[in-house]
Amino acid sequence: MTANSYSAVQKTVRKIWQTIGAIKTGVILLILVVVISAAGTVILQRPATDPDEMQRAYSPQLLRLLDGVGLTDVFHAWWFVLLLSLVSLSIIAASIQRFPNSWRYYARPYKSPDESFRNALPNHALIPIKDEEAALSIAERVFHKAGFRPERIVRENNFSLFGERNRFSEMSVYIVHASLLLIFLGGIVDALYGWRGFVTLTRGQQSSQVENQNGSKRNLPFAVRCDGAGQENYADGSPKRWWSDLAIVENGQAIVRKQIVVNDPLVYQGIRFYQASYGKTGKLDKLVLTATRRDGQALGDMSIGLGETRPLDPDTTVRLAEFIPDYVVRDGQIYARSSALENPAAHLIVESTKSGRSVDVWLPPIPGLEQNESSPYIFEGKDLQMAYFTGLEVSHEPGQWSVWAGVLVMGLGLTAVFYFVHVRVWAVPVRNAAGQLTLWIGGAANKNKDVFEQRFRKLVEEIESELKVSSKAGAQAPVASLAGK
Amino acid sequence: MEDASMARIARAEQQPVATGTTLVVMVGLGVAFLLFMAFLNVVKSGNLLNESNLLYAALIFYSGAGTLYLGFGITGTPSYIRFASLATWAGLIANTGAVAHRWYEAGHPPFASIYEMLLSFVWTLAVLTLIAEKKFKVKVIGTVTMPIAIVGVVLMQLLRTEVHPLVPALQSTWLHVHVTLAMLAYAACALSFALAMMFLIQDKMKTETFLAATSLFSIGTYLGVLTRFEKWGGLSVIAWNPEEKSEVFLAKGVRLFVVIPDLGWLMVMVLAAVAAPLVLYLAWRKTGKEKLIDIANRAVFVSILLQVLALVFFLLRARDGRYGSLDADGLFSTSLAASPFILSGLVGGVFVSLLYLLLLWRREDLERMLPSAEELDRITYKTIAIAFPLLTLMIAAGAYWANRTWGSYWSWDPKETWAAITWLVYAGYLHMRVTRGWRGRRAAYFAILGFAVVMFTFFGVTYLLPGLHAYA
Repeated sequence: MTANSYSAVQKTVRKIWQTIGAIKTGVILLILVVVISAAGTVILQRPATDPDEMQRAYSPQLLRLLDGVGLTDVFHAWWFVLLLSLVSLSIIAASIQRFPNSWRYYARPYKSPDESFRNALPNHALIPIKDEEAALSIAERVFHKAGFRPERIVRENNFSLFGERNRFSEMSVYIVHASLLLIFLGGIVDALYGWRGFVTLTRGQQSSQVENQNGSKRNLPFAVRCDGAGQENYADGSPKRWWSDLAIVENGQAIVRKQIVVNDPLVYQGIRFYQASYGKTGKLDKLVLTATRRDGQALGDMSIGLGETRPLDPDTTVRLAEFIPDYVVRDGQIYARSSALENPAAHLIVESTKSGRSVDVWLPPIPGLEQNESSPYIFEGKDLQMAYFTGLEVSHEPGQWSVWAGVLVMGLGLTAVFYFVHVRVWAVPVRNAAGQLTLWIGGAANKNKDVFEQRFRKLVEEIESELKVSSKAGAQAPVASLAGK
Repeated sequence: MEDASMARIARAEQQPVATGTTLVVMVGLGVAFLLFMAFLNVVKSGNLLNESNLLYAALIFYSGAGTLYLGFGITGTPSYIRFASLATWAGLIANTGAVAHRWYEAGHPPFASIYEMLLSFVWTLAVLTLIAEKKFKVKVIGTVTMPIAIVGVVLMQLLRTEVHPLVPALQSTWLHVHVTLAMLAYAACALSFALAMMFLIQDKMKTETFLAATSLFSIGTYLGVLTRFEKWGGLSVIAWNPEEKSEVFLAKGVRLFVVIPDLGWLMVMVLAAVAAPLVLYLAWRKTGKEKLIDIANRAVFVSILLQVLALVFFLLRARDGRYGSLDADGLFSTSLAASPFILSGLVGGVFVSLLYLLLLWRREDLERMLPSAEELDRITYKTIAIAFPLLTLMIAAGAYWANRTWGSYWSWDPKETWAAITWLVYAGYLHMRVTRGWRGRRAAYFAILGFAVVMFTFFGVTYLLPGLHAYA
C-alpha cells in the first residue's frame, strides 16, 4: 500500500519534471515572457513615470486595476520574477534530461560503422580496391591532409579508419544554456543583494550616507568626499564633459582618489560612484569684492565665504553675514523670492574691534537696511562664485560578475554552436555483394550539410585518383618501387 | 485545383501591356519627385562634394537599382538585373563617401543619432545585398532590400543632418561597438527577411496569399497611423521649431501636436482602399469565384494610386505649413522630420504594394531567377545564424556600456526590453529548427516575424514608446 502510493508520488514527480523540461513548456513560457515584457513597454511604468502623469494617462479605476495586478511595475512584480525562475527551471530540466544522451554521443564516438549504418548514411561512396592496406594508407593520408587526424580502428580481422573534427561542438548548446543560467543567477543576486542610491555633494563636502530610491538612508562603511566638480562645454554651449574629483575617506584619511567622468566610475569595495548630475545649488561659495578706504587707499580683491570674517586693518574686520540669491523688499523687510541666482544681495557687517561698533553694508545698497555711508570702507562686488553640486549615482551589484561571465561564456558557446561543425569521416574495407573488395568511405556533419556534401565529394575524388595512380605505379614497376625504398 | 491554376495562367496572359507602362510612368514620376526633393538640398548647400550630395547620388543609384528590379518585374528582361546590380555598386560607393564624410566631419563614427544610424544601416544593407547576390547567387534579392534602402535614404533627406557634438553619455568606445553590432545584426535580419519572402515564392505559396498579406500590411500601417495620429478628421503631427531644428515641447518630455486638417479623412479613404483587396480575397475564399480575385488585383492597383496620393498630400502639407494646435494658442510650423514614423509607413506601404504587383505579373520569371526553395531555406537559416550571435553581442555591449554610464546593466527600458524580445524570437526560431526540425514555411514565417520585431525595435520604440534611448 505504502509502496504503491510512494511510486504514485514518484510517478507524478517524474511527470512534472518531464513537463517542465519539455520544449513545449519552454516555448509557452518564452511566449509569456515576450507578451508580458511587451506589455511592460506599452503600459507606463512606475517609478520611472511620475504619479501625476500616471493619473493623467489612465482613469482612476483602470489605474487601480493596473496597480493591483502589478502591471504598472511589471519587471519587478513577484509573478514576473516567478516566470523568469520558471524559465530557468525549464532550461535546467531540459538540459539535464537531454544531457546523458548527448554525453554518451560525445564520450563514446561511433568509430566503427556497422552494415546498416553504412547503408543508411547519406554521404558515402564505394571505391573498388585491390589491396586493403594500400587503400587504407592512401585514405589515411587524404584524411590527414584534410585535417581529420584519423585513427586506425581494429575490426575482427582488419583495420578501418575513423577521423573527426570539432567534437566539442556537440556539447556547446549546454554551454549556451549554462551561460544563460549564469546571467540569470547574476540578476537574481543583484535583485536580492544589490542596491542603488544617490548622494549629492558640494565641493569639500563628504558623506557616508546615500539615499535609496524609496527615500530611506543607507550608511556606507566609508565616506566619499568631493574635492571639486565641473562642467566643460562645446563651442555651441552643449555639455561636453562633467567631472568630479572624488576621494574615499576612511578613518579620516583619503585612501583612494579619482576623477570620475560620465562613462568612468570610481569603484571601491564593490560600490560604484557614477557621475549622474551636476548643477548649481543656489548657495554662495565665494563672494569676490574689493574694499577701498574712505581716504582712497584700495586694499585689492578679497574673496569671502558665507559666515567668514576677513581683517581690513588691525582695528576693522568684515564678515559676510547673509547672501540672498533672489531678493525682494516688502514693508522694509528683505525676503528670498527663489533660490535661483536672479537678483542677488549680500549682507556684510563691518566691525571695529576698538569701539565694538558695527555697520551693516548691503550690496547692492538696499534703502532702509543699509548703513553703507557710515562704513569706513567702500565695497564693490566683483564676482559671485556659486557652489556647484555633483550628483553621484551609487550602486552595488555583486551579481554583475556572474552576468559578465555568462555573457563571455555565451559568446564562446554561440561561436561553437554556429561556426564549429562536428565532422566525422570513416573508411572501411568491405566486400560488396559480388564479393569484390571495395573501400567504403562515409562522412557526416552535424550542420552546414550542403557545404560538407561538396567537401566530402572532393575527399572521395582525391582518394579515387590517388588509388588510380598507385595501382598504375604498382602494376608497372613493382621492382622499381622496391628499389626506390 | 487544375481549374484554378488554369484560370491563374489565363489571368497572367490577360494582363494588358498598357498597365505595365502605367507602372513605369508611375515609378518614374515617383523617382523624379524624390530626386527633385534631394535636388533642393543640393541647391541649398551650394557646394559639390559634400555629404548631402553624396547621399543624393546614393539615392539616385539606389532608386535606379530599385526601378531596374521593378523594370525586370514588368518586362522580364534579365539584363535589367545586371544593371540593377551595377547601380547598387554605384550607390554603395556614394553611400561609403557619405559615411566617410560624416565620420570625418563629426570626428566619431556615424552612430550618434537616428540619422547617422540610418546612414550606417543602409550602407550595411547594400553591402549584404551585394554579398548575397555574388556569393549566394540570389540575384533578385535587391527587389526587397533596395526599397528598404530607398526608404532609408529618403528618410535621411528629411531628418536633421547637422553634426551634433556627442553628449557625455555617448562618449564611449562601447557605444561604437554596440551600434556597429546592432547595424550588422539588423541588416542581417533584413536580409533573412528578404530571403524568407523569396523562399515563400519558390515554395509555391499562392499569389492570392501574398495579396492578402500585402493588404494586411497596408491595413496595419494605416490603422496604426490613424489610431495614433488621427484627430477630428485631421492628422495630428508633432510641431517643429525650424530655428532650433527640434520638436516643440510643451513641458519636459511632452511634445506639442498640431492638427493638419482633412488629412485624416484622406487616410481613412486610403484605409478603405487598401482593405478592399482583403475583403475580396475573403469573399473569394468563401465562394471560389475567380472573378473576385481579378477585381482584388485591380483594387490593389487603385489602392497604390490612392496611397501615392496620400503620400504626396502628406509631403506637401507637412513639409512646411503652419497649423493650429488643441493644446496651445497660435500657429506652429511642421516638418517631415518631426513625423518619420508616418512617412516611413506611407512610403513602405507603397513599396509593398508595388512588390505585390511585381509578383503578380512576373512570378514565373522570378521563380526562374531564384535559387531553389531548399537552398533559400538554408541561406535564410545561415543569415540568422550570423544575426543571432551579433544580436547577443550587441545586447551584451549595450549592457556593459549602460553599466559604465548609469550604473546598471539592465533597467528594462523599452529599447532594452524589445531588444531582448527580438533575441527571444530568433532564439525560438533556432530552437524550433534544431530540436523540432522546423523547415520551410513555418521557419520562413518565423524569420518574417523576427524582422517585424526588429523593425519595431529600431523605429517603433524610438517614436512610439518613451525611454532612455532618446537619441536613437
